[in-house]
Amino acid sequence: MARKSWHVNRRTFLRGTGVSLGLPWLECMPSVAKETSETPAVTPSRLCALYFGFGVSLPKEDSEEKQWRWFPNGEGREYELTETLMPLQRHRQQMTILGGLSHPNGRKMGAHDTGDTFLTGAFLNNKMLRNTVSLDQVAAYSSPAQTRFSSLVMSTDGGVGEPTRSSTLSYDGQGRPIPALNQPKQIFDRFFGGGDSDSIAQGRRLKSASSMLDQVLEDSRDLRRQLGVQDQEKLDEYLASVRQIEQSVERSQRWLEVPRPELTDEERDLLDLDADDEAPLMYMRTMYDLIYLAYRTDSTRVATYQITNMADCSSLAAKFPQLEGFKDSLHSLAHGWNKPGGSESLGKWDRFMAEQLSYFLDRLSTTPEGDGTLLDRTLVLYGSSNSVTHNNTNYPLVLAGGSKLGLDHGRFLKFDAKIPMANLFVTMLSQMGIPCDQFADSTGPLSELVV
Amino acid sequence: MSNKQEASTRSIRSWLAIRLRLGSMMFVLMIIVGGDRLQGEEPVDWETRVRPILAKYCYGCHGPQHSESMVRLDQLSGNLLEDRAAVETWHEVLNAIDAAEMPPADEPQLNETELKTVTTQLREQLKRADDATQKTTGRVVMRRLNRLEYQNTMADLLGIDMDYARDLPPDAISSDGFTNNGQSLQMSAIQLEYYLANARRALDRAIVIEDAPKVIQQEWTESNLNQWLGNAVRANRLERSQEFLATMKEDYPESGDFVIRVTLTAEIDEGQGYPLLEVSLGYRPDTQILMREFDLVEVRSTEEQTFEFRGRLEEYPLPVRGQGKYPGLVVRVRNRFDDRSPRPKEEKVDNKKFYPDEPHLASIDIKKVEFAGPVFEQWPPRSHTGILFESPLRQNDELAYATEVLGRFMNRAYRRPVSVEEVETIVRFFKRVRPDFPTFEGAMIEALSLVLIRPEFLYMMEPSGDEKRPVNQWELASRLSYFLWSTMPDSGLVELAEQQKLANPKIMVEQVQRMLEDPRSDRFFRQFSEQWLQLKNMESVSIHPKLYPDFDERLRDDMKRESISFLKEMIDKNLAPDLFLQSDFAMVNGRLASHYGLEGVIGETFQRVELPSGSYRGGLLGQASFLMANSTGADSHAIRRAVWIRDRILNDAPAPPPPDVPSLEESTPNFHELSVTQQLEIHRQKPSCANCHKNLDAWGVALENFDAVGKWRDEVRRLHRNQEVMLPVESKGELPEGIFLEDIADLQDHLLLNERDAFVQSLVVRLLTYAMGRRLERADQNAVSAISDQVLQKDLGMRDLINELVLSRPFNTK
Repeated sequence: MARKSWHVNRRTFLRGTGVSLGLPWLECMPSVAKETSETPAVTPSRLCALYFGFGVSLPKEDSEEKQWRWFPNGEGREYELTETLMPLQRHRQQMTILGGLSHPNGRKMGAHDTGDTFLTGAFLNNKMLRNTVSLDQVAAYSSPAQTRFSSLVMSTDGGVGEPTRSSTLSYDGQGRPIPALNQPKQIFDRFFGGGDSDSIAQGRRLKSASSMLDQVLEDSRDLRRQLGVQDQEKLDEYLASVRQIEQSVERSQRWLEVPRPELTDEERDLLDLDADDEAPLMYMRTMYDLIYLAYRTDSTRVATYQITNMADCSSLAAKFPQLEGFKDSLHSLAHGWNKPGGSESLGKWDRFMAEQLSYFLDRLSTTPEGDGTLLDRTLVLYGSSNSVTHNNTNYPLVLAGGSKLGLDHGRFLKFDAKIPMANLFVTMLSQMGIPCDQFADSTGPLSELVV
Repeated sequence: MSNKQEASTRSIRSWLAIRLRLGSMMFVLMIIVGGDRLQGEEPVDWETRVRPILAKYCYGCHGPQHSESMVRLDQLSGNLLEDRAAVETWHEVLNAIDAAEMPPADEPQLNETELKTVTTQLREQLKRADDATQKTTGRVVMRRLNRLEYQNTMADLLGIDMDYARDLPPDAISSDGFTNNGQSLQMSAIQLEYYLANARRALDRAIVIEDAPKVIQQEWTESNLNQWLGNAVRANRLERSQEFLATMKEDYPESGDFVIRVTLTAEIDEGQGYPLLEVSLGYRPDTQILMREFDLVEVRSTEEQTFEFRGRLEEYPLPVRGQGKYPGLVVRVRNRFDDRSPRPKEEKVDNKKFYPDEPHLASIDIKKVEFAGPVFEQWPPRSHTGILFESPLRQNDELAYATEVLGRFMNRAYRRPVSVEEVETIVRFFKRVRPDFPTFEGAMIEALSLVLIRPEFLYMMEPSGDEKRPVNQWELASRLSYFLWSTMPDSGLVELAEQQKLANPKIMVEQVQRMLEDPRSDRFFRQFSEQWLQLKNMESVSIHPKLYPDFDERLRDDMKRESISFLKEMIDKNLAPDLFLQSDFAMVNGRLASHYGLEGVIGETFQRVELPSGSYRGGLLGQASFLMANSTGADSHAIRRAVWIRDRILNDAPAPPPPDVPSLEESTPNFHELSVTQQLEIHRQKPSCANCHKNLDAWGVALENFDAVGKWRDEVRRLHRNQEVMLPVESKGELPEGIFLEDIADLQDHLLLNERDAFVQSLVVRLLTYAMGRRLERADQNAVSAISDQVLQKDLGMRDLINELVLSRPFNTK
C-alpha cells in the first residue's frame, strides 16, 4: 500500500521524540497534518533565521554618536534610519524593525549564554543545559516533505559547540543541537552536487541503509542493558540520531528520481566555494548565496545561519571585524560601544553586517516567483539576543519578506519589554501556514505585524 | 534623569527578572527532589562569615519583614551543591553587588572587607556548583571517536588513505579545552549520515570487482604546458618566480593510488637556507580549488636525488573530461623558498617572460618528473585481500564465508574479540540485503558499512554496570592507543591483549616506550599541546598588518610548531617538567630564530638551540604561540596572558569577570597614553574589581616586554587615531603576599621557586584528563597527588611521568 509520505514522516518523527511529547510545539502539528494531507500547499512559504552575537551599538538618542544607534529614530511608518541600517533603506517596504522584544527566559540567563536560545526561548542553567526545539525546526518538521532537504543549518564555526556557547541556531524536537555546516564547498556538494549517476545502484543502497538502521535499532536493547546510566544516555543520543537519519533516508528515496537542480553559469560564478573564515566578506556573501540558491531551486524552505556567536576568542568569527579593516575584535568592539568613539566603531561594523543582509535581500527580491518575488514568500529574521553587549533585553531585530504571507511591512514597531519574543514566532509560523497556538513561553500572537 | 536614578531603575529591572523566574524555579526544585541529591553540608564559612553580613545589609528588604521583588535571602540556602535552584538567585545577587546596584545607593554600604568576604565566598560556591554539574562521578563516559581519531582509525582499519573527516562537523571543545571529552562529543543525524557515506566511499575503493587497471606512466624533462596557468614562468631551474609544469592532456587515470617522483639537484650557498620543494597535482578549473599541494620538503643537499610523493587520485581536484580547452591533469613543481627580499621585475626578451636570476636564493634544478598511476603492489590490492581473504569457504558456501569475513573484520573494528551473536546480527542483515545486490562484494560492502556505523565502532565502549571495575586487556589496549596515537591498537598491542599480558606494569611501560618512539606519537604531541596550551586560539587573533608587517601565516605556523616540538623534546629526552617553566634551550627553526633574534639557525626543520644567557625564550612563557594567542593582535593583553598562566600553568583559573565590566577608560582623559599598569590601576580602584585583579594583573604584566607577536620590546608601540604612540614598557607588578615581579625573569623564578608543586599537579591533571577523555574529579585527586609527589620527590622526567600516569588507578579503572 502506498502510504502518504506525510504520514510516514510523522510516524517516524513521533517515534523519535520519545518522552518529549509534552513539548509545546507539538501543539502546532495535528492541524497541519490534517490540512496538508488534504490540501497540499500550492505555493511555498520559507523561513530564514540569521543571528549575530554581542548585540549592537546603542548610544543615547542625544549622544554625539547618535547616528550610530542601531534602532531608527521615530516610530511607526514615519521612522528614520540611522547610518547603521541605512543599507536596508531600499528594502524599507519589505521589512519591519522590531524593538523591545526578548525571551523572558533569556533575561534570567548569563549574558553570553543566550545565543543558544535565540530560536528556542528555552531556559538554560548549569543544571539544565538541555535546550528545546527551535523555530526553524518546527517549520521544517511541520511542512510536508516537498523539498529534498528539510532544512539547511549553517554557522561560521560549524558543529554544535558547547552548551551556552553554541555554534548552531537549530535544535531538534528533543532539544538536541543540530550541527551546523560551515564549509561552502560541502554545502554546495550536498545541495547541488551531482550525486550518484546510477539511480538503480543508489536506490539499492538507500533501501539497504534503511535496513541497516532498523537492524541497529532492533538489537540496541541488549547493548543498552550492559551499560551504566551515563553510557546509556550517550547510547540514547546515538539511537535518536539513527531514528532521525531514517527520515532523511526515506526522504532521499522519494527524491531519488528527481534530478538535482541546475544552476546557471552566473550563479556558479558568483560563488566562492573556498571562502573561509580568513575572508569574512567573501565568506558571508557565499553563505548567503547558498541559502538563496537553496531557496531558488526549492531544495529546502528552511535555513538558519549563525554569522557570529558569543564564544569570544575561541570563535573563528572573533577576528572578522579586524580582517575587514575594523579596528578591533568582535568582543572588544562590542564591549567598547560606550567608550568615546566606541559607538561609531561598533556602529560601522553593524552597518557592514546590514550591508550583507541587504545583499541577501537584493537577491531574494530580484528573483521572480509566481506573481511576486522569492522574498514575498520568505520570512527573514535577522538579529541578536543582546541589545548592547551583556544585556539580554530589547533584541535588535529585523523581520523582512513575506508580503504575500500577510505581513504588513514598512514600520518600526516598539513593543512592551514584557512581551515574549516567542509571540513573534507564533505569528511567523501562523503566517507560514503552520497554525500554532503556542511556542515556548508565548502569550499570544504579535498581531500588529499582520495586515 | 540623574545617574543615581538610572541605576536604581536598572536594578529594579534586574530584580524583576528574579520574580519572573519563580515559576521555573519551582520546576527545578521538583526535578531535584526526584533526582539524585548530592550530599554536602552548608560550608561553615557561609554561616559564620557570610550570613551575618547579609543579615546586616540585605535582610531588611529581603528578609522576614519585607521581601522586596519577592526575593528573600534569609531563606535561601547557602549550600549550592544541595540546592541548585538557589544558584541562579545567588548569581543574580553577586551580579547586583558587583555592579554596585545593591545595596541601593541610599542604604548603608558594605565596607571593603565585607564586600570581599561576600563576593569571594559567593564566587567559590558558584564555582563548586558549576563543577558539580560537570560531574560524571569519576567514570569514563562512552566516548565517540573525535574527528582525528575517526580519521586515523578508518585509515588503519581499511588501509585506504583518504580524507574521512572532511564532511564531519567540528567537534565540541569542552570547557577545560579538550576535544576528546566524552561528555562533550555528541552524535547527530548528519554526523551519522556522513559516517555511512564515508564507510561506503572507502569500502568501494578498498574492495575491487574489476580486473587490474592499466597503469599509466609519464616522464618529463621539461615543462610541456603552454596554455593555461598563463602567468607562470616555466623553467627547470626554480627560484621563487618559476614553475615546472607537466600535463597529461588525455591519457590519465582518475582513480587509485599514484606516485610522483621528482629528480633534482640544488644550489645552496652557505648560510642561505634550503630550497623548499612543493609538488601539487590537479587542475580543476570549474572550482576555486585548482590543485592540492603535498607537504613542503626541505632540500638539504646539493647532490642529485629523487623525492617520492604518493596519494590517492580521488582525493585530488581532477580535471573534468571533455572540456578540451583545459590543460588536463597537471603536476606542478615549485620552489617556495623566499627570503622576503623585494622581488625583481619581470623582464621580456623575444616576447618571452622571465625573471632575472637571484643568486641570493637557494634554487632547485629539475632533472626529471615522473608520474605513474594507478599503482599497486598486487591485484586485488592488499586492502581487498585484507578483508576478503582467501578461504576454502569462499567458493562453496557464501554465507559461511560472509560469517568468517565479518567475524575477522569486526574483531578489528570493535577492537576486541566479538561474540558469535554479535556476528550473527550483521550476518542477518547481510542475508536480508543480499538478494538486492548483483554481486557478493556489493552486499558485503553494505554489511561492512553497517559495522562501521555501529556504536561499538564509533565509540570507545567499556560496558559496565554502575559499579567501578578495572578495565580489561582490550580496553587497556584502546586506552593506550588512543592516548598516544589517536588511533586503534596495532598488532603489537592486540597480541599482548590476547595473551592477557598487557596489564602487567612492566609490559605496559615497555609498550609506552615503544609507542612514544613510533612516529604516530606525533599526534599526541600535537593534540596535547594544542589542547593544553590552547594553541587553537592563535587562529582567532588577527595580527595588525601595519604594526607587524613582517608577520605572516608561515610564522604563525612556526610558533605553533615550536610548542609542539618543545613538548616532544621534553618527552623524548625525559626532561624534568620544571623546564616547561624555564629552560636553557629552545626549539626553533630558521624563521622563528630570527623572529626571536637568535643567530645561526637556518632551515625549516625545528632543532634544539642552546640559549645565550639573558634570553628568556626557554620554557613556555617565552614562546610566541602563547604570547600571540593572548594578545589583541595589535598589542599585548596582560589580563589574557595572566588568566592563561593561572588556568593552564597553575590550574587555578580566576572566576570569569562579572557581567558588564565597567569599561576601563570611562572619563579618563588620555587613556591611550597610560601604560597597562596605570590602566589596570584605575580598574582596581573599584572594590568589586580589585578583589580579582589583585592576584591576576602581575602575572601578565611581567610579560609586557613581549609584543603581540611575542617579539621582545623595550618600548610599547600603540596606534592612536592612526598615529604611533610610544611608551616605555612597564613590567613591574606585585602578587599577593608581597611578591614583587620585575619582569619575566622574576616571574620564571617565582614559578620555579614557589609554584613548582602547583605546576606539576596542574600538568598531571591536564595529562590525565587528556588520557582518559573526561574531566577529573575529587575522586581522582589521590591519584593526581600520588603521581605529582613521585615526580617532585624523585625528580622524574616527562617520560617517567607518563609511565606513572598509565599505571595509575584512574587510567586502569572504568
